[in-house]
Amino acid sequence: MKKKIGKALVVGAGIAGIRSALDLAEIGYGVVLIDKAEHIGGVLSQLDYQFPTNHCGMCRMLPLVERDAGSQFCLRKGLFHENIEILLGTRVTAVAGEPGRFTVSLRTRPTWVDPQRCTGCGACVPVCPVEVPDAFNAGLGRRKAIYLPVPHQVPNAYRIDPAACTRCGACVDACPCGAIALSTAERKDFRILVVDDEPIVRQSLESWLEDEGFAVDTAASAPEALEALEKSEYQLMLSDIKMAGMDGVELLRQAKTACPDLAVVLMTAYATVETAVEAMKIGALDYLVKPFDPETLVPMVMRVHEELLAAKDRQVEVGAIVLAGGTDYFDPRQQAGNPYGYGRLPAVVTSLEFERIVSGSGPTTGRLVRPHDGRPIRKIAWLQCVGSRDIQCGADFCSSICCMYAVKEAMLAREKGAGEVEAAIFYMDMRCFGKPFQRYRDRAEAEGVRFERGRIHSLAPAPGTADPTLRFVALDGTVREETFDLVVLAVGQRPARGAAELAQMVDLPLNPWGFLATSPLSAVRTERPGIVAGGSFAGLRDIGESVIFASAAANEASRVLHGTGGSLAAIEEAATEFRDVSRQPPEVLVAVCTCGDRILSQNDRRQWIDRLERDPVVQETIFIDRVCTAEGWQALADAITARRPNRVLIGACHPYVFTRRLRELGRATRLHPALMDVVDLLGPRMAASGENAEAVSSSGDLPRRLAMAVARLQGTCLPQVEATPVSRQALVVGGGIAGMTAALAIADCGYPVDLVEAGDRLGGNLRWIGHTLDGHDLNALLAEAIARVGKHPKITVHANTRVRGAFGEVGHFYSTLEAADGAAQTLEHGVVVLATGGGEAAASAYGFGSHPAIVTQKGFQEALAEGRFDPAALNTVVMIQCVGSREEPRNFCSRVCCPTTLKQALALKRDNPEATVVVLYRDLMTYGFAETWFTRARRAGVIFVAYRLDDKPKVEVAGPDRPVTVTVTDAVLGRPLTVAADAVVLATGIAPGLPADLAAAYGATLDQDGFLAEAESKWRPVDSLREGVFACGLALGPRNVEESVATAGAAAQRALRILERERLPAAHLTAVVRHSLCARCGRCIEACPYEARRLDEELDRVLVNPAMCQGCGACEAVCPNGAAVLNGLSMPQVFGMLDQALA
Amino acid sequence: MNDFEPTIIAFVCNWCTYTAADLAGTSRLSYPPNVRLVRVMCTGMVDPQYVLKALLEGADGVLVSGCHPGDCHYINGNFKARRRIKLLKALLPQFGFAPQRLRLTWIGASDGIEFARVMQELVEQVRELGPSEAKMKMVI
Repeated sequence: MKKKIGKALVVGAGIAGIRSALDLAEIGYGVVLIDKAEHIGGVLSQLDYQFPTNHCGMCRMLPLVERDAGSQFCLRKGLFHENIEILLGTRVTAVAGEPGRFTVSLRTRPTWVDPQRCTGCGACVPVCPVEVPDAFNAGLGRRKAIYLPVPHQVPNAYRIDPAACTRCGACVDACPCGAIALSTAERKDFRILVVDDEPIVRQSLESWLEDEGFAVDTAASAPEALEALEKSEYQLMLSDIKMAGMDGVELLRQAKTACPDLAVVLMTAYATVETAVEAMKIGALDYLVKPFDPETLVPMVMRVHEELLAAKDRQVEVGAIVLAGGTDYFDPRQQAGNPYGYGRLPAVVTSLEFERIVSGSGPTTGRLVRPHDGRPIRKIAWLQCVGSRDIQCGADFCSSICCMYAVKEAMLAREKGAGEVEAAIFYMDMRCFGKPFQRYRDRAEAEGVRFERGRIHSLAPAPGTADPTLRFVALDGTVREETFDLVVLAVGQRPARGAAELAQMVDLPLNPWGFLATSPLSAVRTERPGIVAGGSFAGLRDIGESVIFASAAANEASRVLHGTGGSLAAIEEAATEFRDVSRQPPEVLVAVCTCGDRILSQNDRRQWIDRLERDPVVQETIFIDRVCTAEGWQALADAITARRPNRVLIGACHPYVFTRRLRELGRATRLHPALMDVVDLLGPRMAASGENAEAVSSSGDLPRRLAMAVARLQGTCLPQVEATPVSRQALVVGGGIAGMTAALAIADCGYPVDLVEAGDRLGGNLRWIGHTLDGHDLNALLAEAIARVGKHPKITVHANTRVRGAFGEVGHFYSTLEAADGAAQTLEHGVVVLATGGGEAAASAYGFGSHPAIVTQKGFQEALAEGRFDPAALNTVVMIQCVGSREEPRNFCSRVCCPTTLKQALALKRDNPEATVVVLYRDLMTYGFAETWFTRARRAGVIFVAYRLDDKPKVEVAGPDRPVTVTVTDAVLGRPLTVAADAVVLATGIAPGLPADLAAAYGATLDQDGFLAEAESKWRPVDSLREGVFACGLALGPRNVEESVATAGAAAQRALRILERERLPAAHLTAVVRHSLCARCGRCIEACPYEARRLDEELDRVLVNPAMCQGCGACEAVCPNGAAVLNGLSMPQVFGMLDQALA
Repeated sequence: MNDFEPTIIAFVCNWCTYTAADLAGTSRLSYPPNVRLVRVMCTGMVDPQYVLKALLEGADGVLVSGCHPGDCHYINGNFKARRRIKLLKALLPQFGFAPQRLRLTWIGASDGIEFARVMQELVEQVRELGPSEAKMKMVI
C-alpha cells in the first residue's frame, strides 16, 4: 500500500469517523483514529437495523480497492487498516499549531487489562462483585466492572471501568493469563510528603490520601522533611507555613533548590494567606486555607496528579484534524416536569432502549417482551419530537432522524410480532425527506403501522396497572384515551457530550443550537483551516448524510494535507523479493501456540501431530510457547528459515492481530505473507454445555480446524493477475455548483480534471436561487467557484459541450465529447463524476398556466425580481406545498421546497408586514436547523394550514383580472376555508436532469425517479454500483446547496481513491478465469454483482477486472466447467476442507 | 433416548453468520460440538456440489447460513443461494437423502443466540432422522 508522509487525526470513531479515516487512509495518508468510548462504531454498535432497508450492511463501507490493506470482516467486530492507528478510550487534551503542522496531545484511559495477554475467556466476570447498568444495552441490563464494551469485538480484550471498580482484586486472582494489573499503581507511584507540626493534621491527611490510593509519608518539621526529600523522591509536598524552627516558606525555598520538579502546596491559616500568595512567586503551586475537609483537599491533589500525568500524554504530529464526535441522545428526564414519566413508569422507554429490545444481542435476546416484567408486547406507541422542535427544552431544531427510526422500529415490531403487534406513531409532521423515505413510510402504513397526527395531552398509568395510557387530541379536536403495553419516546439528538469542550480546545465557536459552528455553505470547513467537521458533529444527520459529510470532511483534510506537502511518499522499505514457490508442491509448516499449556498440554501433542501429519503436505508440526512474545516470534521465524516450507499455518489466538506481523515475517523469511494463514484456536468454540476447553481440544475439534486450514492453505497460490493501470485524470459532467466543487476538490489534490457543461455558462441553479434560508449569499459562492475553476491550472472547462458516448471501465474510461459546433474529441480518464444537476419540476396542477397569479416558486422569485409582482400590492398570498410531489409517480420529498417557502414567506412579511401569507402543507419538512425559521415564520404571522392528500386544496380562476380563489379543508375547524389570493405559489419540487443514456454509457443505473441509483443509500451514498462512477448534487437526489456541495466533496474523495494509484492491484481473494476450460457461456458475467467480468470478443475470452472484483465467488458457483475460480477459496480447496472436516 | 450424535457441516458466510458464530462463542453460549464450520465468503458461492460432497462424505446434516435478504455484503449473493438451495432440496431425494438434512437460514451478525438455537434445533432434527443414508450404504 502506498504511504504518504501526511497524517490526519480523526476524533470520534463512530460511523462518520470510520468513513473519514478510511477515506484518508485509502489515499495513502496516515490516520490516528481516536474515540473516547472503548469501542468503535459509536451509537451504531447498538443499532442492528437501519432504515430504509431494515438491515445492517455497515461492512459495505470497507475498502473496495486494495481490500487486503484492511480487515475483511463484519465492521461491528472491529476495523484494521494498514494506515489507521485506532486508539480507544482516548481524548484530546491539547491542540497547538497550524494547518500541516498540528501538535495534538492525546490521553488514553488505562484499562488495567493488558490486551496482548487477555484472551477474552471471561473468567474474571463471575468473580467481579460490582454490577452497574450496561451502557451497551442502554441501561436495560447490568454488567460487571470488568466487561466487554460490545459483545463481539476483536481483539476481545476485557476492560475495567475505573469508575465502578472497587479494586478488590478478585479478577486479578481469577485471570489465567495474568493480564490484569489493578493499577492503583499509578497513584501508588505518586508519592506525597505531608509536613505539619500538628499530629492530627498529619494523620488525617495521611488517611484521606491513602484511601485514594496515594503513597503518603509524613514529617513533623521542616528539617525532617528535607531529610525525607533527600532519601527518596516525592512528587508533591503538602506543607504547613507556620512551624517552629524553619517555616514553610523557607522549606519551600530549600526544597525547590534540591528538587526543582517537586510540586509544593502550602497549607495556611487565614492570617497567613498573604504569605502563601507571596510563596507562589517562589514556586509554590497552590495553597489551601485551613481548616479544610477531604472534599477540598482530595480533588486538588487529584488535579495535581492529573496534570503530572498529562505531561506523559502522547503527542502526535498531524497535518489536519477531522472532528467527527457525533451527537448524543436527549434524556427525557430533562423535559420540564417529565410529562411522559420516563424513569418513573417502567413501560415508557426511549427509542434507543427499544432498539436494544429488538436486538439479538440485547437484554431480551430480541424477543418482543417488556424488559421489566417479561410480558409480551402487543401494543406500542411512539411519541415523536421528544426533546426536538421544543423551544422549552432548548431545541429549536428538528433532530432529522426520529421520524424515520420510529417508522423502522414500528415495522420491526410488526415483523417480530408476526402481525399481532399494533404499532401507532403519534407525530406533528412526518419528516420523511430522504430520497426513498416517503415510499418507506407509505409501505409502513400499508403494512399496518398506524400514523396518528396529534399532540399528546398527558400520559398516566392505567388504573390498577402500570400500563401507560395516552390522552391525546386528535386532528378533529376530540380528546381520546388509549392504553399501550409500551410507549417509546422518539428522543431527539443533542450536541455530543464534550463537544463544547472540544470546540473550546481547538478555539472554535458553537452555533446558536450548541453544535460546532462551520463556515457558511460548507458545513465541513471551520474558521480554522485544517480543522474540519465530519458526520453529524456540526448538525443533525442520519447515517447516509453523516457518511457524505464524513467523506466531504476527509476531502477537505486531504486538500489541506496535499497543500502542505503531505502527499510526498513516505520512505518505504525496499520491496522484498519473495521466494518463487509457484512450481513447488505444497509443503506446510504448522506452528501451534501452546500458550503456556493452556491450549494444549504435553500429552496432547502426539495426538495433534498424528492428526495433522495424516495429510502428507504437512512438513512438520511444531509447538511454540506463546508465539505472541518476541522470543516466540523469533522461534517461528527461525523455524521457517531452517525448514524452508512454502506455506505456513499458525494456530494461535487473535488472528486479526497477526495481519501486520505476517508481513514482517514475510520480509524476514522471504515467504510471501499470502502463503501464511492464522487459525483462531480460541475462536468460535463449539462447547456443549458443561464442556471445558480441555475437553474440546481432546475431542479433536482444534486439530480438525487446523487440518481444514491446511487443506485450504495448500491450494492457495499467489494471484497471477495483472494490476489494472489507471489513467490518472477525472471527467466531471455538469458545471453547476456540485460539478465545480467536485472538479476543484479533485484538482486541488493534484489531478487534471475535464469539466463538461452543456450550457454556455457555469453555475446551474445557483444563478437564480439568490440566497439561502439562513441568508447566505449564493452569488458570492458562485462567483468564487467560477473564478477558481477558471484560474485552476488543472481544470479544463468544456462549455457548450455534451458527452456523446462513452465506454470502458474503472481506470480507463473513454468519453466522446461533442461541442455545440459539432467538434468532437475523445478523452481518456480514470473516473467520472456525474453532476448533471436538476431543476424545478414542471407544474401541471392547481390551474397553473391559466392565470398569471399562479406561479411556481422559481417563477415567484423571478416575478418579484423583475417587478411583475410588487410585494406592497400582494395582500394575500397562498403557498401550496407538495405539488405533484410525495405522491406517485414522483413519490419523494424534494427537501428544498419547504425551506424555500419559508424564505419567500418571511421575505414577503418583511417587505409587507400587512400581507396575509397562507401556507398549505402536508408535512412541513423543515428538518435540522431550518426548524428555527418555521418558528420565526409562525411568529411573523404566517398562517400554516395542513391539508390531506385525499382532500387537496382547490384553485378556482374566475378571470384574468380577478383574484384566484383557493379552497382548503381546515382539519382542525373541520370545514372549508376559502381565500382570495393575489398570488398562488406552487412548490413543485425537484426534477433530476440526469439522462438515462449518459448514466448507461458509464454502466450506472437510475432509480425509478430518474436520480442516480447509489450502490447503497447509507454506506456508499455517492458511489454508483459500478466502480469509478460517482455522482453528486441533484443528479444524486434532492438536496440544498450546502448538502450538494458536501456530496461533491464526498464524490471527489471517492474518486481520489482510484486516481491516487498508478495501478489498481488485485486483492488476494480475486476471481480468475481458466481460459482452457471456459466455454464462453456468459453465466459468470450475469452472476457478477459488480460487473467485473466481460467477454472480450477480440480475444474471445472472458476477462475479469481485478479492481472491480470483490471476491464473492458467485462466478465460481455458476460456472458449469470449473473455469471460474476464486483464487484463495476454489472448489478443490473447499473439497479439501470438507474432507478434513469429515475425516 | 436417541444417543446418536449427528455431524453437521455449516457453510457460513464471512460477514454475518460467521460473526454470529463468533459472538455465540465469545458469549459462551453452548452449541453442539459436532458442528463443523466452513467459512465461505458468501452463501452465493456455495456450489450445490459442496452440499452433496458433504453429505456423501458422511455429514448427517448441512446448514447454509448467510446474511438476511437485502443485507448481503455482495448485494445479492444470498438471493442466489436461496434459489439454488430450494432447487437442491427438491433434488436431494434423488440422491437418496432426506431433504430435511439441508437447511438454509439467515442469521445476522448480532444474532449469536439465534445461531446457537438454530444449531441445536438442526441437530435435534437430524438426530430424529438418524444417520445419513450415505453412511448406512457405506456400511452395507
